[in-house]
Amino acid sequence: MRVLAIGASNIRRMLRERSNIFFVFIFPIGIILLIGAQFGGGLDPAVGHFAVDDGQIARNVVSEIEAIDGIDVFPYETEDDLLSAVELGDVQAGVFLPADMDQRARQGEVVSIGFVSRPDGFGPQLQSIVGSAVADVMKPVGAAQFTSAETEIPFEQALAVASGIADNNNGIEVEVSALGEALFPDTLGQFDMGAAQQLVLFVFLTALAGSAALILTRQLGISQRMLSTPTSIGTIVVGESVGRFGVAMVQGLYIMVLTFFIFRVNWGDPVGALLILVTFSAVGAGAGILLGATFKNDQQASGIGVMLSIGLAALGGSMLPLELFGPTMQKVAHLTPHAWALDAFAELVRRDGTTVDILLELGVLSLYAVVLLVLAGWRLRVAITRH
Amino acid sequence: MSAAAQIAVKDLKLRVRDRSAFIFGIVAPLVLAFVFNLVFGSVFDATGLGLEYGMVDLDRSEISQRFGAVLEEVEADGVLTIENYANEASAERAIEDDEIDAYYLIEDGFGEGVVTFAAPTIRVVGDIDAPTSTQIAASIAQQFSIGVEATQLAITTTAIATSSQITPQFVNSLSGDPSSAAFSYQLEDVSAATKQLDGTTYFSAAMAIFFLFFTVQFGVLGLLEEERDGTLARLRAAPIGRLSVVGGKAILAFLLGVISMTTLVVATSVPFLLNADWGAPLGVALLVVAGVLSAVGIMGLVASAAKTPEGAGNLGAIIAVVLGMLGGVFFPLGQGDDLLSKLTLLTPHAWFMRGLADLADAAPWTAALPATGALLVFAGVTGSIGLVLLRRRLER
Repeated sequence: MRVLAIGASNIRRMLRERSNIFFVFIFPIGIILLIGAQFGGGLDPAVGHFAVDDGQIARNVVSEIEAIDGIDVFPYETEDDLLSAVELGDVQAGVFLPADMDQRARQGEVVSIGFVSRPDGFGPQLQSIVGSAVADVMKPVGAAQFTSAETEIPFEQALAVASGIADNNNGIEVEVSALGEALFPDTLGQFDMGAAQQLVLFVFLTALAGSAALILTRQLGISQRMLSTPTSIGTIVVGESVGRFGVAMVQGLYIMVLTFFIFRVNWGDPVGALLILVTFSAVGAGAGILLGATFKNDQQASGIGVMLSIGLAALGGSMLPLELFGPTMQKVAHLTPHAWALDAFAELVRRDGTTVDILLELGVLSLYAVVLLVLAGWRLRVAITRH
Repeated sequence: MSAAAQIAVKDLKLRVRDRSAFIFGIVAPLVLAFVFNLVFGSVFDATGLGLEYGMVDLDRSEISQRFGAVLEEVEADGVLTIENYANEASAERAIEDDEIDAYYLIEDGFGEGVVTFAAPTIRVVGDIDAPTSTQIAASIAQQFSIGVEATQLAITTTAIATSSQITPQFVNSLSGDPSSAAFSYQLEDVSAATKQLDGTTYFSAAMAIFFLFFTVQFGVLGLLEEERDGTLARLRAAPIGRLSVVGGKAILAFLLGVISMTTLVVATSVPFLLNADWGAPLGVALLVVAGVLSAVGIMGLVASAAKTPEGAGNLGAIIAVVLGMLGGVFFPLGQGDDLLSKLTLLTPHAWFMRGLADLADAAPWTAALPATGALLVFAGVTGSIGLVLLRRRLER
């Protein structure tokens, strides 16, 4: 009972602090919303274009780009204006059409179209979207150049023929499927894996931030007073662990439930998802207590806590999907509990896995939790009795 | 030495002994810049994405082999690796063994389908755990399809213009290569022409400005700590001006900020470690000083609004994180004309990063002046309001 009382008071203390309400409950949802909006539609990326040539081909390229769904297109008066708009992030990418575009095309020369994007965000995607719009206009131009060279029919006339039949050519169909499935699931919601990534980041962040509360408990003499009552040191250590674990669980459940109802995030098999959260929260609790028992100064602990939780999250795939990690970095990533938790969520969400399919991941997370909690309990015992 | 300077020096000694400011001001931003560079470095450089694809060519026609040659060209650029498999089963095994992310399947009759305009299919079969890599594989195949379409269009247009039937004989009778129609233009990536921060410098600068707000807080919060501990009353009893007490804390906050930022600029510029390129030293110095002043102003305002040092610390953390987020420290938010990109400009973080971007590509130090001006406006407005409120508080 005492264990639960200590744990419950930990959770109450967290909830009473107004800034915790912000970091634990408001901030993560804001982040998930922002990321979902950025990478899953919602906000349209902006593309600028600069075209001095008012010939037919240049105008067709511009109107084809303007007709692309899902991007906002803005004209720019000068090359420098467009360049600095990209530099400042006002637009994500810029397209530069050469001044003598029509003339060069008529003479059968290669037209060079410039493309500029920001190194962050949508660069490659935008290049392929803009590229295929440009290709739609330039395919007939290339065909007309060829025909006019081949037959001595004037370029204009050949272009009229080519433009008239441009849509009749099918080229090649490209069909994408996932191994063992008919189609590559498009239904991985825009928030799904992003929500799991943020979940592990914030649960760990909050758990480590709890280390400061643990240090305050010692500084204020609460631990000493608890010791003076007929409460064993073991009870206090377990109680603190239950408290940190409870705080992590409250936040994790809150993120899961809210994102499920508001953003329709698919968390996969509920039992499996809950078990991942339980084991991962235990890992977080262990790490938080270890940190809180190791440091004597709450500000130092919170600095190290922020650094560790953001750093481990980045290494563990919470900021960039693990699939994009090279082989060595994959191995490094799996030194973090984050990567194992994310692997487990991926199994549940992408392969409709159940608890049985994530036993390995759950096992590794449990091992982390046990090792950290034992170490933490030992350090905390030392820290409390040292005073 | 003036009273303000003495207070600042005394507090600086305290902070050095405490080591917290050292962790927030130097260790955390440096370690995180290093980690981010390690993790995200690959995204800035396509060769680091580790794209591994397989090819199952059951057709072995001229056209399917041409697609294979295109892939080998991309492989030679170091963007991806391509491995040939005899059949689908062996390629599937390779996916299951995590040897490849996706494979192309070109079925028998593909080349014939292209020649007869029958729109044959290239299938891309991907690992469900590698959706992004699979998508990239598909977009390479789509690029190839655009080339095929242009070639077909060139043949058809010539046939119509000469009133001929499209037969193998007709295609062979053409003097030029119709696939040249695919090269009437090139979309050239000229991003190098823009002044943008490289990835390493971006992360180094982003982490530096993010943690700066926590670092200067150590200076500003000192005032509230003195108030809580009762030492402020003693300071007030001494023959020291109100302004000197507040000034002492502001000087300390400024010193901590400048020391932290300078250390980070120098440490991240070390070759072989991060090798960040911050730009013209005088321009960087201006941005650092103006950036630190804006942080001191904002955190001073926070301190003036809070009742206790803990309250100020918590409120300050919220403000620092929200401003950092909006300012694009973790990921950029600017999106054309919308509200978010306007909000971004209300953060010193965005102006600091913008100023550094203006300095990129060996621009002269004067390029940093507009952003420096904006940062000084932040510092002036928030600092003077904070100063008035804090002085009033001291007089109570």
